[in-house]
Amino acid sequence: MELQIRGVSKTYPNGVQALKDVTLTIPAGMYGLLGPNGAGKSTLMRILATLQEPDEGTVHLGELDVVRQKDAVRQTLGYLPQEFGVYPKVSAEELLGHFALLKGIGDRRARREVVEALLRQTNLWEVRRQKLGGYSGGMKQRFGVAVALLGNPGLMIVDEPTAGLDPAERVRFLNLLGELGENSAVILSTHIVEDVSELCTRMAIIDRGEILLEAEPLGAIEEMKGRIWRRVIEKGALAALEREHAVISTRLLGGNTLVHVYSPAQPGPGFEAAEPDLEDVYFSTMAGHIGRRRMPA
Amino acid sequence: MKLLGIFRFELAYQARRLSTWLPFAALAVITFLFVRGNFLADALYADFYLNSPYVIAVVTVFCSLFWLLLGAGVAGEVAARDVEAGMHPLTYTVPVRKAEHLGGRFLAAFVLNALVLLAVPLGVVLAVYAPGVDAEVIGPFRPAAYLAAYGFFALPNAFIATAVQFSVATLGRRAIGSYLGSVLLFGVVYGGIFAVMLFLRRLEYAAPLDAFAHLTLFDVTLGWTPIEKSTRLVGLDGRLLWRRLLWIGIGAGALAFTYARFRFAHHAPRPLWGRLARRRPAHAPTPAAIGDAGSAISVPQVRGAFGPALYARQTLAIAGESFRAIAKSRAGLVVLAVLAAITARVLPENLESMGTPLLPRTEYVLTFLTAPLTDPMTPWVVVPLLVILWAGELVWREREAGLGEITDAAPVPEWVLFLGKLLGLGLVLVAWMALLALAGVLVQVQMGYTRFELGLYLKVLFGLQLAEYLLLAVLALVIQGVVSQKYLGHLAALAAYALILFAARLGVGHNLLVYGSAPDWSYTDMRGFGASLAPWLWFMLYWGAWALLLAVAARLLWVRGLERGLRTRLRLARGRLTRPTVRAAAVAAGLVVALGGFVFYNTNVLNEYRSASEVAGRRAEYERRYGRYEGIPQPRLAGVRLRVEIHPRRRAVEIRGTYHLVNHTAAAIDSIHLAPAPGVETGSVRLHRPARRVVADDVLWHQVYALESPLQPGDSLRLSFTVRAEPRGFRNGGANPFMTPNITYFRSQEWMPAIGYQPGRELFKPAERRAHGLPRRPMVPSLAAAGAGQDITGETGMGGVERIAFEAVVGTDAGQTAVAPGALRRTWTERGRRWFHYAADAPIGTEYAFFSARYAVHEEVWTPPAGSGQPVTIQVYHHPAHAANLDRMLRSVRASLDYYTRAFGPYPHGRIIRLVENPGGGIGAHAEPTTIDYTEGFSRFDPDQDPRGLDLPFAIIAHEMAHEWGVPYAFAEGAPLLSESFAWYAAMGAVEEAYGREHLERLRRFFRQPQPIPPIRQSVPLLRALDPYAAYRKGPFALYALSEYMGRERVDVAWRRLIAKHRSGAPPLATSLDLYRELQAVTPDSLRTLLHDLFAANTFWELETERATARRTAAGAWQVTLRVKARKVTVDPAGRETEVPMDEWIPIGVFAPTERQGADFGRTLYLRPHRIRSGQHTITVTVPRRPSDAGIDPYLVLIDTERFDNVEEVEIER
Repeated sequence: MELQIRGVSKTYPNGVQALKDVTLTIPAGMYGLLGPNGAGKSTLMRILATLQEPDEGTVHLGELDVVRQKDAVRQTLGYLPQEFGVYPKVSAEELLGHFALLKGIGDRRARREVVEALLRQTNLWEVRRQKLGGYSGGMKQRFGVAVALLGNPGLMIVDEPTAGLDPAERVRFLNLLGELGENSAVILSTHIVEDVSELCTRMAIIDRGEILLEAEPLGAIEEMKGRIWRRVIEKGALAALEREHAVISTRLLGGNTLVHVYSPAQPGPGFEAAEPDLEDVYFSTMAGHIGRRRMPA
Repeated sequence: MKLLGIFRFELAYQARRLSTWLPFAALAVITFLFVRGNFLADALYADFYLNSPYVIAVVTVFCSLFWLLLGAGVAGEVAARDVEAGMHPLTYTVPVRKAEHLGGRFLAAFVLNALVLLAVPLGVVLAVYAPGVDAEVIGPFRPAAYLAAYGFFALPNAFIATAVQFSVATLGRRAIGSYLGSVLLFGVVYGGIFAVMLFLRRLEYAAPLDAFAHLTLFDVTLGWTPIEKSTRLVGLDGRLLWRRLLWIGIGAGALAFTYARFRFAHHAPRPLWGRLARRRPAHAPTPAAIGDAGSAISVPQVRGAFGPALYARQTLAIAGESFRAIAKSRAGLVVLAVLAAITARVLPENLESMGTPLLPRTEYVLTFLTAPLTDPMTPWVVVPLLVILWAGELVWREREAGLGEITDAAPVPEWVLFLGKLLGLGLVLVAWMALLALAGVLVQVQMGYTRFELGLYLKVLFGLQLAEYLLLAVLALVIQGVVSQKYLGHLAALAAYALILFAARLGVGHNLLVYGSAPDWSYTDMRGFGASLAPWLWFMLYWGAWALLLAVAARLLWVRGLERGLRTRLRLARGRLTRPTVRAAAVAAGLVVALGGFVFYNTNVLNEYRSASEVAGRRAEYERRYGRYEGIPQPRLAGVRLRVEIHPRRRAVEIRGTYHLVNHTAAAIDSIHLAPAPGVETGSVRLHRPARRVVADDVLWHQVYALESPLQPGDSLRLSFTVRAEPRGFRNGGANPFMTPNITYFRSQEWMPAIGYQPGRELFKPAERRAHGLPRRPMVPSLAAAGAGQDITGETGMGGVERIAFEAVVGTDAGQTAVAPGALRRTWTERGRRWFHYAADAPIGTEYAFFSARYAVHEEVWTPPAGSGQPVTIQVYHHPAHAANLDRMLRSVRASLDYYTRAFGPYPHGRIIRLVENPGGGIGAHAEPTTIDYTEGFSRFDPDQDPRGLDLPFAIIAHEMAHEWGVPYAFAEGAPLLSESFAWYAAMGAVEEAYGREHLERLRRFFRQPQPIPPIRQSVPLLRALDPYAAYRKGPFALYALSEYMGRERVDVAWRRLIAKHRSGAPPLATSLDLYRELQAVTPDSLRTLLHDLFAANTFWELETERATARRTAAGAWQVTLRVKARKVTVDPAGRETEVPMDEWIPIGVFAPTERQGADFGRTLYLRPHRIRSGQHTITVTVPRRPSDAGIDPYLVLIDTERFDNVEEVEIER
């Protein structure tokens, strides 16, 4: 099922324009929505999850109009919000069962099987009888995934899922998502580049409500080949370097500063060609060297 | 300085928030309504200023109680915002000391609350000076009054409450804790006071609990006269000061405790059970290996199957979830169980009337367990309040748990969410009804009553009461679900409920306009539900249709997702407008229109509906238009012949009647004024001499017939008419509870046409008269007017004194017995109906009643001593199941006949006396010649269980019996002395005759209790008094005192002479002055002063024994020394007391220790009158045995409002 987002805009009552004429096509598979905090990711995600109304534009999931046919969309929707809570005094098994019923699994036996499978898959089976109030952040997050996975959703919306997870949990979580991406559209919003690079077949970069780049991660990295240069400099030399070169990212490395510079050609002495990664794509896009925020060069 | 910084920051932060000032606005409005609603009428009536210091103080205290809940949010916000916002790690780690951290915040909360409480004086000022208040009741503006009220009441209350709220919220780390603190404080204070009253029965002991100075204020102002209430400032006198300081201390203590317990520390949640059963924390580590076995698990590919079956399942699941959520919450089943337990515990003590226990019959117990939704004056308002609270919790449950987005994105239709939560709420209410029923049965079990009638519990609680609560649940849930802010939702729901409660007071009286309101249903053993159920049901169906419509609205506007803007939500609503929704809306709207139309047809087309103000308007119009006919010569009723056909199943009565009218005046009468009764059809009026109708006013119920030839003095005239009463459909006020298939009961004054202008139909409340531009008028003619020979016929107001010949033929259903005044001449059955022919042996009054029901009848004959009249047949018509007090009542009737015949002459109403049970409300009895009717409630008396050993029903029947000997009296000042005071004086004699002196003392002790009739000191003398204290207490006491001083025989002789002179009922009628003359005639000179003090002055004797000591003499006797204080005062109606010199003979008594429980004293060792003058005396007497109690006027023969200081325990000196 393909998700078509056409010309979606959203302005909040306080005047903040969260989305500006967003147009995206999201095919089945894992789709990464990458952007800094406050870029409008969550607004877009909530519109897709039927919880907010766009001021303009249309969203279609296959034949379904997401804005108008909310009920039908919800029947095939899995949603993991950026932040959520639980009833602290209820057990995971009980609450997941409750949500399974809400998600439409009416048959008691089927419900039990699904709940068991999901709890096992999210590795919560051992603690299924314990109250959710005692869960750690990662366990809660996994519980949220289990809820989102209920009912075999055709559209999965996952908003900043890895934010509070420790590295091991993150890996496991991404694995889970990866499996799901095999037969439904999974949209993953994140501000962590690795999430996308490890998982997604397609991605978009969003900032200040605008889509800056829509690409396949591998292709985008490929295109960057030969344009990213690195150089290790002393801390104090950064300001001078920035004046002369298009610095897209800096990182500390053994007390010195590792600088990545965007340049279609060898920028000068001391620079060596870097093997580009998605981070370079991201920073180049944000800096306006590629994508729609192209600076007048 | 940091403290000041914190204080200023908090103050500024909270002052910017709307939720801080909403309570201010609400409080101002409440104060306004409170002053206008509670004090305006009182001020007009009792003549004190609306803005007097007294009123301002009372309003301040009450409104600070409203604030306690309304304004609780502020302290909670200030105390727990950091923790709730998760900001505490930042604020806890800055270098601020605990005192500064807490102190700044507390001060800010206190100052804010003090500011919010300024709404009270503002509300008072608005209420006083906004249009709508008579200039007469506005006194001068006195800033000191406002300052005193604010300073002595509002500020300390704010401090105490804020301290508690702040402490609970700080230590509980929840903002809601401040509400909990409010409820806690309120519960401790008022629960404590209630418990003290219940168990210790002395209000004084509750004083230390008085955190809000509520009791104290009433204590301090209790004896204030109207003048004082108008002018006197409430000062900080001893009692008030100490109690205020005590509670300010308690508030400070709470703060100190909070300071001690508070830690700048991370709070690890420690559940209550945690300490008992240490659970291991949940831990499920993520396997380190990537691509572990977990991913091999396959999740069954189950997709939702959406359809009605699933929606039904989801609804039930949500209902169960919601039920469990409420049930487990703090304000859930525990609270309900506690409420039920309190009910079961407290009710037995409340099942009493005037101190006598009542049988806990199911019909009666149920009246305590139920209340209409629209009734504000019941403790059960707590249930709707809880429903509103629960509805809010349910609607906000997911959102507050952070599950809102997930749930909202789940494929659950809005109506399933709504219906599920509604069912959950309904389940809680069902549980509550079950608990209530259990409480009711427990009450009956405790009281040893075993006819439980579970079916009735089921019908009433689960059928009737539950329906009303469910309607409110729908409303609350709709409001909470549609309003996108929880606090606002609560406020809106509360406002809606307040409108329901107070609609009637705001002038909206039609049940079609007030959600959930209906004419009350009622149930009693005698009439069952009667006809009360059908109107209730129609209204409920109508409101049910509205509820459905509301539910549709809720589906459309249900807050889902994150959109809160109105426009967006309206757009969303359009999107939700699916065909089934439209269909449901159309059905609901159709039902509303159809049912509403049907109800309207019944209440306003078939019947006439008039609002309260319209009724008042008509009464004013009646006076304006026809008042000029008041007192014009009219013939008087001399005889009545009636043919009454009662059709119980149709609830219809048809009467054909003939009046025999006689011109007793000295003038010729040229026109007859007839006043048909409202509410029935009076027709076929015919005068049996040529006449023509000149006025026929069907709106104000007045007709005038001009006679072609005037009716000469002494001439008579016959007038015939028909009266038809049959309900058409039902009324807004519901069905007449006395016209039911099981029982029919009506009184002449309700249905029978009356002769002449009827002053009783005029408006009489001063405020109402003023509002309609009518002149002030005395409520009752003065004695001076009576003495001046004005014709005070007594035909109006207090009922007819004319004596009429009476005859009636009454027909009813074959299974029922009809009762009317007079002797039953004949009874027969004809065409399946039973007929009864009654005729009075002797003339009766113009008030009489008819009854028809399946009565059980008891009959016996009482024979008088030779030469004292004829034998009298005693009949008791009672509900077959209500025979518990039958013997007792009969004993009382016989004792009364015995004693009154001897004391006042033969039974004056022929050969029959009847006691008839009627289905009326309340607990009472009423006497008319030949017939005493008593309510079903009266049959509930269970005097065998009376801890005082007092046979109150016996006394009440004796009282009613005495009315049979009553003298026809003029409707003027002092009239109650001739009726009620006489009847109780006589009954005291009957009680003494039957049960002895000690029992009489029990009755007199009951009379001295301030309940149900509190003593009134500021009044006119008995000869002019009208108030209940004078009529039922002081009057009988005065007559009794006189009989104690000069012998009962002499007092009875005075009565006998008065009765003999006035028995015929011919004018001039008796007044209290006539009685006084008769009393004077029998009073020896030595007691003239006493007679005057008792009746012609409003006198109180203040007799007190300060100390009593005893010493054993050498001879072995005991010498008792009493120090007594005596004073005599008269009190005028304005409360001015004047001391008058005292010099009279008053008994001094010394008593042995009590031998039996319940007795005042033991054996009398000494009881002799001593001459007592005003001032202190030391009296020494010698008694043969060891004394226990001694005092002056030990039996309180003289009128003394301080009941407990006459007798003291004797101290034995060694």
